[in-house]
Amino acid sequence: MPRTDFPSRRSSRREKVLLAAALLLTISLGVLSLMVGKYPLTPALLLAGDEQALRVFVTLRVPRTCMALLGGLGLGIAGGVFQTVFHNPLASPDIIGVSSGASAGAAFGILFLSPGLSPGGLFGLPGGLAHILSSGAVSVTLSAFLGGLLAVLLTLALGALAPGKSSASIVLAGIAVHSLAQTLLMGLKLLADPERELASVEYWLMGSLNGVSLHRLPATLFIGLGCAGGIFLLYRQLLLLSLEESESRMLGVHVGRVRLLILLLATLLTACAISNTGLISFVGLLAPHTARLLTGTGRPSTLLLGGFAGSILLLGADLLARSVSSGELPVSIFTSLLGAPFLIYLLVKSAHTPYR
Amino acid sequence: MDPAFFTAKNISAGYGKQTVLEDVSFSLEPGTITGLLGANGSGKSTLLKAVCRLLPARGTCLLKGQPLDTLPRRRLAKEISYIPQRSGVILSLPLLEVVLMGFNPGLGLLQRPSRTQRDAARQALAAVGLTGMEDTDYLTLSEGQKQLCILARTLVEDTSLLLLDEPDSALDFHNRCHSLQILQGLIRNQEKAALVSVHDPLLALDFCQQLLLLKEGRCMALLHPAYDSLNDMQEAFSQIYGPVSLIRCPDRSGRERLVLLSEHGTAFPC
Repeated sequence: MPRTDFPSRRSSRREKVLLAAALLLTISLGVLSLMVGKYPLTPALLLAGDEQALRVFVTLRVPRTCMALLGGLGLGIAGGVFQTVFHNPLASPDIIGVSSGASAGAAFGILFLSPGLSPGGLFGLPGGLAHILSSGAVSVTLSAFLGGLLAVLLTLALGALAPGKSSASIVLAGIAVHSLAQTLLMGLKLLADPERELASVEYWLMGSLNGVSLHRLPATLFIGLGCAGGIFLLYRQLLLLSLEESESRMLGVHVGRVRLLILLLATLLTACAISNTGLISFVGLLAPHTARLLTGTGRPSTLLLGGFAGSILLLGADLLARSVSSGELPVSIFTSLLGAPFLIYLLVKSAHTPYR
Repeated sequence: MDPAFFTAKNISAGYGKQTVLEDVSFSLEPGTITGLLGANGSGKSTLLKAVCRLLPARGTCLLKGQPLDTLPRRRLAKEISYIPQRSGVILSLPLLEVVLMGFNPGLGLLQRPSRTQRDAARQALAAVGLTGMEDTDYLTLSEGQKQLCILARTLVEDTSLLLLDEPDSALDFHNRCHSLQILQGLIRNQEKAALVSVHDPLLALDFCQQLLLLKEGRCMALLHPAYDSLNDMQEAFSQIYGPVSLIRCPDRSGRERLVLLSEHGTAFPC
């Protein structure tokens, strides 16, 4: 019998090198993201204690950079999870309706929640918290988050009604919920004031890290990193879900329950990212493929590398979005512009196939 | 020998409204391999799936006196292992990881396989002839090697009842015999039994203590090559495969073997 040995040590070393390179690139882009912008910062300026520079650094650059890092990481990891669970290389976080639900939620927030809330009227909450919640951006974020979550819960509930409860029925339910959310979004756009609200909805749909603020960061980091940690803890179960459903069941996996748990974690991670950044196209689809084409394995390090690839892409796109013109451009333009040629290059050049 | 190790009574199953299997009954004794023979579409895979509750089925299955439909999924996985015709591994995974999946029924949700289990997985890979290939990518293997790897996963599962759906379909002559020898070694003198769907009646006659012949979803015959008459077996095989002759002939060591010949005079299948 011919032996087809995979040089294990070389492969493991290659993975480590790739992870280290990705981490280094992420950190470098992160540092660049902290310094580049309309108000250029330098380490010397910050060390000298320049008050305005410090304010820009803490209130604008740190939240924006952290959100790009976390958003890219989250979308990259969640994309890998969706592709594995649904056995579908074209799966992305929108396959079960999370992005379209979040879009409808954000549009609802822009139309009905942003202007109407006053700090005093928020259920007797303490002044500071009420003020934070009353700002339009936060209500849009919360509304987008809940919209995404609601869409996914509806998808999973509809998928559970189908006989057999297979991943294919969840995907079909996701397509139905996606269409419903799109219809709702269209209806909300029709209701929107064309001068002000419609422009805000369209801008949200194109994605931007412009509105990210410091006070939203702790909760986002807590939920996002918690979900990512949960996914890595459940990685062995995720691999078992990548098998045919009958095979997973006969290996003792409670397919329905474990799939629900992992999908909820990936959904929360996605909703956490896009509710803050608006729709970011392509990252959830491209980042996991990039990682798989580079490593050629289904190890946990590939999922992490997919996360780093997402962060690199989003950081790079955000740097371009705020540097190439005098105004701020939507970040999704650059995620597609940077990502698509790189994926095609890898597809042509790589020795590995991303999927069987 | 305990005759009630596994009993299936009046099993009927199908897909949607289409019934594929009707009223099939049989029992398995511990330490034995039962071959499941029949033409394509006769219901072999359906029977295996119905027994392990992957398909809704009517009838009862008792394993060591316990009805299988009352067992929770995890407990069922500890008692029964099932090898599908093709494993659904779609990600590039090292063989060791694929074999370690066999320990899952005994592990907690977040628990990782122990060092001892990793060693056992290596030994299982060596037992099926994949020594030193622990880190080989599963997707780079030939179909035959993949079947051997999945057989190694079944070895570490260490269950009482093994259900194998054409585990030899992609194997060459040597590995086909080798894999059934491994199975024989695993089952013999143990509180285990195997139900194996095979296409090659010669192999089944050589390795199985009992043969279950299916035709159009019904049990045509339950044969025991060690003590059933040649005529009875020949007649049963003829109903499945058309006119055939079953003869005894000695091999090079003088051991008597059973050979099935088609009407054209060649060993079956030609």
